[in-house]
Amino acid sequence: MLLEVRGLDVRYGRNHAVKSLDLHVAEGEIVTVLGANGAGKTSLLRALQGAVRPASGSIRLAGHELAQATPAERVRRGMALVPEGRQIFVSMSVHENLLMGAYLRKDGDWTRDVDEVYDRFPNLAERRDMKASVLSGGEQQMLAIGRALVSRPRLIMLDEPSLGLSPLFVTNLFDLIGELNRSGISILLVEQNTGMALDVARRGYVLELGQVVLSDEAQALAGNSALTQAYLGGGHAAAS
Amino acid sequence: MLLIQQLLNGVMLGSVYVTVAVAFTLTIGVLNFLNFTIPTLFMLSGMGAWALAKWGLPFGLTGPFPWPLALGGAVVMTIAASLVVERFTFRYMKAKYGDATEHAIPLVSSLGFLLIIENLIRIGYGTDPQRMDAISWDTTINLDGLLLRAPQLISLAVALAIVAGLTWVLKHSRIGRGLRAIAENPDAANILGVDSKRLVPVIFMLTGLLCGLAGILFAINYGEVSPGMGEEIGSKAIAGMVIGGLGSIWGAVLGGLIIGIAEMLTVHFFGADTVQVVVWGLLLAALFVRPQGLLGHHSIGKGKL
Repeated sequence: MLLEVRGLDVRYGRNHAVKSLDLHVAEGEIVTVLGANGAGKTSLLRALQGAVRPASGSIRLAGHELAQATPAERVRRGMALVPEGRQIFVSMSVHENLLMGAYLRKDGDWTRDVDEVYDRFPNLAERRDMKASVLSGGEQQMLAIGRALVSRPRLIMLDEPSLGLSPLFVTNLFDLIGELNRSGISILLVEQNTGMALDVARRGYVLELGQVVLSDEAQALAGNSALTQAYLGGGHAAAS
Repeated sequence: MLLIQQLLNGVMLGSVYVTVAVAFTLTIGVLNFLNFTIPTLFMLSGMGAWALAKWGLPFGLTGPFPWPLALGGAVVMTIAASLVVERFTFRYMKAKYGDATEHAIPLVSSLGFLLIIENLIRIGYGTDPQRMDAISWDTTINLDGLLLRAPQLISLAVALAIVAGLTWVLKHSRIGRGLRAIAENPDAANILGVDSKRLVPVIFMLTGLLCGLAGILFAINYGEVSPGMGEEIGSKAIAGMVIGGLGSIWGAVLGGLIIGIAEMLTVHFFGADTVQVVVWGLLLAALFVRPQGLLGHHSIGKGKL
């Protein structure tokens, strides 16, 4: 098992954002986490990457317990988070953003990984020395993913990557997720775009109020429209 | 000719402001925190150089230090003091109350350090200004009637070299990128594995280095140190930083020089009594016309280095 989460609790003061959650991602899998706004999806990913310390529970990556580890330790072990809203460094150049992905790399090979990102995203190569702030939304998402790739992760966690992208770009993005997966990277995908997410994933979890209320094969979840509608559709209506 | 001499003196005075203003800029830019211990660190360095040269280490541990050792020792002492401030102000508060950068807590606790260190020095050495003995290499260069003192020229060169080196490190080194990442988006930096617990002390070390250099430069140039010497320099350096543009290191350089020159020109034309009015009037006017400063960005508050 690549990622194994048991009994994870995340609290912000009185707000119990994630409640004794169990989840796993096998090597080579794409797993999606669905849920309405406020269901705890972002809190889950932030706890997995170490941006917030979980109140209790276990997070194991390839057998190593990381629940209380620093984010740096998790990056070294092969976890990378592409955060909600991309969070690229707009005051830095495109190239410097990619170098930030290699911040902890001690081996000399990281320049090759940077080159690979440029091969994969020619738009980024063309804008190598420009400020990241001039990139379009789609290009910024490519940069955020490229930055994660440069850390050479075993597991990439993506938080709402399709948010704010044009429909064409969303299609490209999901193609890319499939491609990365075929190149050997396991993926944990948080999405509001339920249809696309279940299409690319093998399994899925549905979160409500910080708890897993459903987990099944992606196809089964996609077929179970009444159930998913109850949890996801209702949340959408309440949020909008 | 006298006017040109005053301009030169202004540049020299400005180079002290520049060094202190860059220290302020660095802490504000990366940590979003106005470090009030900076004037104290500056004073500590000046008084330290004087005390080491005159007495040596306290409690009779050593005899008086020779000049180079006294100056170097003062800088080392200032860096150490700055790290102590980091340990017991910034880091402690942050661990206890979460993201202290969001609050005024470090500002207030650094103010506490300022007052305590300053008053300890007053208790130890008295409030009176202390004369520094002349330094053996203090030669005056007479250039067609313009007087340039060697220590002043060295001060200016050292200040500019330090600032240029610092800019290079921030721009091109891994640590520099880490610091800029924390400055722009601490959360994203954290997710990528940038360990702010390790990098924040670097900022305080650099602050100590800059203040230490500024303190000994001041001591060499003006030949006099006192426990209160940091107060005025500190406020002038803040003025320089703001005029130059918050968050811009070269802005702090420009602003510090402008304040230094403005001060000496004011003395020349209107007399010493009007200095404060002119300098602070200049600051207010600059803020009114160009609130982001000469070289500052519009986005004051985030991503400033």
